[in-house]
Amino acid sequence: MKDKAEIENQFPAGTAQNGRLPVKSTKKTSSPLTWYVFLIPSFLGILLFMIYPIFESLRLSFYQSNGTIEHFTGLNNFKTVLTSGPFWNAVGNTFFIGIFQIAITIPLGFIFASLINSTPKGKNFFKVIYFLPNVTSIVAAAMIFAFVLHPEMGIVNYLLDVIGLPTPGWLSDPSTSKWAVILLAVWHWIGFVIIICLANLQAISPEMYEAARIDGASGFQQWLFITVPNMGGTFAFLLITGWIGALQRFNEVYVLGGPNGSPARSIQTMGAFIYERGFTGFEFGIASAATYIMFMIILVFTFINLKLSNMKI
Amino acid sequence: MSRPLSIKQAERVSGAFKFIVLLVFGVLLMAPFIWMVSVGFDRTANISMPFPPRLIPEELSGFNYGIVFENGRLIQSYINSAIVTVSSVLLGVSASLLAGYAFSKGRFKGKKLLFILVLCTLMIPMEPRLIPLYKLFNSVDLLNTFWPLILPTVINGMLIFLCKQFFDQLPDTLREAAQIDGAGEFKIFFRVYLPLAGPIAATMVILAFIWSWNDFMWPLVVLNNQELHTVPLYLASFSLENGTSLGGLTMALATVSILPIIILYLFLQRYIIQSIALSGVKGE
Repeated sequence: MKDKAEIENQFPAGTAQNGRLPVKSTKKTSSPLTWYVFLIPSFLGILLFMIYPIFESLRLSFYQSNGTIEHFTGLNNFKTVLTSGPFWNAVGNTFFIGIFQIAITIPLGFIFASLINSTPKGKNFFKVIYFLPNVTSIVAAAMIFAFVLHPEMGIVNYLLDVIGLPTPGWLSDPSTSKWAVILLAVWHWIGFVIIICLANLQAISPEMYEAARIDGASGFQQWLFITVPNMGGTFAFLLITGWIGALQRFNEVYVLGGPNGSPARSIQTMGAFIYERGFTGFEFGIASAATYIMFMIILVFTFINLKLSNMKI
Repeated sequence: MSRPLSIKQAERVSGAFKFIVLLVFGVLLMAPFIWMVSVGFDRTANISMPFPPRLIPEELSGFNYGIVFENGRLIQSYINSAIVTVSSVLLGVSASLLAGYAFSKGRFKGKKLLFILVLCTLMIPMEPRLIPLYKLFNSVDLLNTFWPLILPTVINGMLIFLCKQFFDQLPDTLREAAQIDGAGEFKIFFRVYLPLAGPIAATMVILAFIWSWNDFMWPLVVLNNQELHTVPLYLASFSLENGTSLGGLTMALATVSILPIIILYLFLQRYIIQSIALSGVKGE
């Protein structure tokens, strides 16, 4: 009987907008609590592993703590972090690596996606090959790149030497080590950019190209005036996900330079700074303050990215 | 004015040009892998890497691979990773299927608000949660077990979102028909909608698998015991211990750790690429 009442209520709700309001009260009584049962696992997870940690972390940032003994210190942790040279160094490293990774990979990935999309032969073959670096874990990739970029015995410097270019010290030199990480990041991320671009390239309606061809537009003109403007949303998406990922960079710099980002802290990112203070020094309060500053930076940039990308579309 | 005549030729030339550019760049992208496999078979590479680099080792030998398997730690880490990943995928995908379905077909109070809360979790990174979660699992004495890696995967905003989108496309008439037959909500979900959810479940499994298999920072924090190390943790500790000495061994280890994933990828590439593209396109 209950079920039947619900069906009767659903039909007017679905068909006529006006029918919604008056029916609402009866719908409530007929909608069983079972729907909340469906949500129990996920919301237990949200409560325990999302909401609680976020507030606990905020609380900890006002305390001096090593995990067992705590006492309130007000804003001292924030003061310590914000006046700490290594923290700003880590912020600078994170931004430097992220900006160049994104500025290189998105245009390059888009060009390769366009080439793959229009190549007469081997479309799927190239798609699989170009995405391959992205399936390997970044930890394993970093392990290989320590050798690939070795100043004396690596293949990159060998190739540079063969074509007569100077051979940098890469990870052995603090002035070039960030470029080693950028190179690894580009190599690893480009497959993702290509796949996302390809999926959206194929979504552009062929009629537009048809019309342009009739008007006599060349292949390059079609690319410049139809393809590029239609990819605004895709670029925005890549910019946001890329930037959020870049701000959280940790795995590869940990493998290449340890928690302090050697040589000379030149590749220590914000994530590595937090790991170093929190889990090698067990300064939970200071690390929590740093994570909150990082969290705010991520939120602000996500917001700016969203605004910027909205304007573009 | 002879342009129309040469269009076909021009297209053929530009097609060949594109193909060559893609091929050259593709080889460059693959070079680290090719070199990795080659050095792994080179016994002399542990003293100093062969220079100039060569494709075929001077002395082809399975020595390095022998050591990697004899040592046993890689195999142990594979088993650990498998336990963690399979459990995480099962937990995360089941919880997300239930929640995604409820958010799509359910009628209950606070649905919109709760869904916004789920979407908000997408913006919360791991770092600010690291220390509280560490303390939480420490307080129940679960550090150095697999539980801290498995339990938090129960909530995954992206999976719930993808799942809701999928169920939104399935018609409501299916449930109405089942309701007339007197089926309850759970029966409708398990008998009517779940059997139709194969494609999205496959996508969710692939994504959850990739995330769990590659997870690094959180396992690094909670697993000190070497015997519990997952594959990425073992690779990182090996790499940090040995730096750029023992090139041959490192490359053999990297090959053995990457190869199964690459083989899996080559078999499932269509589905994996589709899943990644879907999470990207829908994420827009």
